[in-house]
Amino acid sequence: MAETTTTELPKRYHDAVVKWRETFLPDYDFLIENWDRYFPRDPKFRLCAYRECGMPCSIECGEDQGKPKHQKVADMKPEVAHQLAAQIRAQASTEFGSIQQHQLTLARAQDEQEQAMVLRMMAEELRHGYQMLHLLQEDDWQPVTGASTDQMVEEILSMRTGSHVLGAFNIDFESFVDNIVFCALIDRVGKYQLSMQKISSYSPMAESMPQMLREEAFHLATGVVPLRRWVVKAAEGSPMITLEVIQKHLNKWVPRALEMFGDERGGSTNVKWGLKPMKNREAQDQYWREIGKVVHDLNMRYLRARLPQLELADAEAALARLESDGGSFQGVRAEELLRLPHREYFRRRGEPAFRMVGFDGETFESVEAYLGHLTRTLPDGYRATRDFLEFVEQMTAVARGDKKPEEAQRVMPQLRRVGGVCPCSRAVRWVADEAVELPGPAAG
Amino acid sequence: MPVVTASDLVVRSLSELDLDGIVRIAEKTRHRYQPDLWEDRVTFYLRRDPEGSVVAELDGDVVGFMLGDVRSGEFGLEEETGWIEVLGVDPAHGGLGVGKALGEAMLERFRQRGVRRVRTLVDASMPEVKGFFERLGFEADQMTPYVKRL
Ligand SMILES: CC(C)(COP(=O)(O)OP(=O)(O)OC[C@H]1O[C@@H](n2cnc3c(N)ncnc32)[C@H](O)[C@@H]1OP(=O)(O)O)[C@@H](O)C(=O)NCCC(=O)NCCS
Ligand SMILES: [Fe+2]
Ligand SMILES: [Fe+2]
Repeated sequence: MAETTTTELPKRYHDAVVKWRETFLPDYDFLIENWDRYFPRDPKFRLCAYRECGMPCSIECGEDQGKPKHQKVADMKPEVAHQLAAQIRAQASTEFGSIQQHQLTLARAQDEQEQAMVLRMMAEELRHGYQMLHLLQEDDWQPVTGASTDQMVEEILSMRTGSHVLGAFNIDFESFVDNIVFCALIDRVGKYQLSMQKISSYSPMAESMPQMLREEAFHLATGVVPLRRWVVKAAEGSPMITLEVIQKHLNKWVPRALEMFGDERGGSTNVKWGLKPMKNREAQDQYWREIGKVVHDLNMRYLRARLPQLELADAEAALARLESDGGSFQGVRAEELLRLPHREYFRRRGEPAFRMVGFDGETFESVEAYLGHLTRTLPDGYRATRDFLEFVEQMTAVARGDKKPEEAQRVMPQLRRVGGVCPCSRAVRWVADEAVELPGPAAG
Repeated sequence: MPVVTASDLVVRSLSELDLDGIVRIAEKTRHRYQPDLWEDRVTFYLRRDPEGSVVAELDGDVVGFMLGDVRSGEFGLEEETGWIEVLGVDPAHGGLGVGKALGEAMLERFRQRGVRRVRTLVDASMPEVKGFFERLGFEADQMTPYVKRL
């Protein structure tokens, strides 16, 4: 690990984040007081911005590859700077947004250690949001965004579930299963975005990524390790959790995760401008393979818990057969196992938006039949959310021919509460989404 | 003896996706299936410093791992010390340089962090581990392990 520098925001911005924290992360003090109990020997958490030293100083991809990286916004072409501002805003939105979601159901954890891990992860997301504010505050963005630092910071801190930039951050959690599946799936998109932004042609962005990536590695474990233990509980017949519940939560989050990479056809300007090394589809492909492995490993953990007498090699062979040919093995049926939903299932943005593709890739003719299929394959509680209601409205409009898929996807997520919440808010939309060629945004 | 070349073998930082590979190697070398133990350990190293532990990957499969971190204050050792605490190489790929590649990567990472001394403890009943660390340049130290059974 190379050297890092540590800075705090000027007092008024720092205080604004602390105030935000008191509202949306009220258990923060508990975390700090009990740090050594849950995380003995770990360095203490600190709310600050970290910048990595010694990173590459020339642009790593695109039309200016090899030229020196930009230290200042003023050195960048206006269109590149504008795209970068949208990235920072989207990234900040995900960081603060995920805390608001996690807080809703944090108290419903059944296991104290799992709860402590999620709480620590939330504090680290706060630090990630802080890091993005640091980028906005350190440089002069006004010529690009038309907004002062005050306005930008205020706009970000006034976002709520429902007004965040990306769909995945506008969905209310219903139970602690959401907290955990979200970490395993959505933070994983975050890992991809951060690793891509690590090559950013804007040095301060690139230098912000390494420490965030280190923390992200823990966030993924915060999702995957409890999931591995829950599938064992399910195998043992625990009344607390079943594979069906986990499956339905995968169905809820996988489509949103895929959409966080932006439209499958887009992302080339990011590469051209040296902001990210991969186009959207390429990154999404890698992500898809990775979550396939997550699911496979969970199935392995489940199978071995169901059939503890099996030797390693026999378990591996049995699982390979169950996953490829179906059927059953010593009483374990292939249908019990977890699977990724089809890549076009329940999509509302990107290439397959509103195509009415089912879990297995089957297509539906009637919107009623499709919505029926979705309600059977999604978690019960989710069906009662505003997010699903909005999908139903847009899906129906598209199916009836009242709207084109492109029009409908622009509404998802609906930006309902921008600027309206905070009484002192003079918030402006300082980045117009339309100015971005295709959404190639960021993540928690 | 065939040796895996640097181009076949990828040594990279630990991630939670390596859990199955690690559990698998440990089961092959220790003849015990202990996923809970490895989940706890991997989480511990990931949350402290994911770049301080490494795995070796061959054709996409994890064939070896080495876990450790940097601490000071252990046993009154005030200086920052790199600790190599757990390692394993898939017996199907033993003797091919996997362990060596892992060890060298760990040492390089410690070096980059400015660590001047790396320590480990070797079970005397495992001469292959002793031989392995000696080939990596480790030598016996003044500190002697003591134990008392209660
Ligand atoms: C010891 C171990 C790490 C070696 O891994 P490996 O990939 O087979 O080793 P390599 O091929 O990279 O060999 C590296 C060096 O170690 C030496 N070495 C390896 N096995 C050895 C043995 N059995 N006896 C003596 N030296 C040995 C080799 O000679 C080699 O040196 P060289 O390159 O100069 O010839 C591996 O066998 C292992 O994981 N064993 C079990 C470890 C364990 O159970 N640990 C539990 C406690 S944490
Ligand atoms: Fe995260
Ligand atoms: Fe984050």
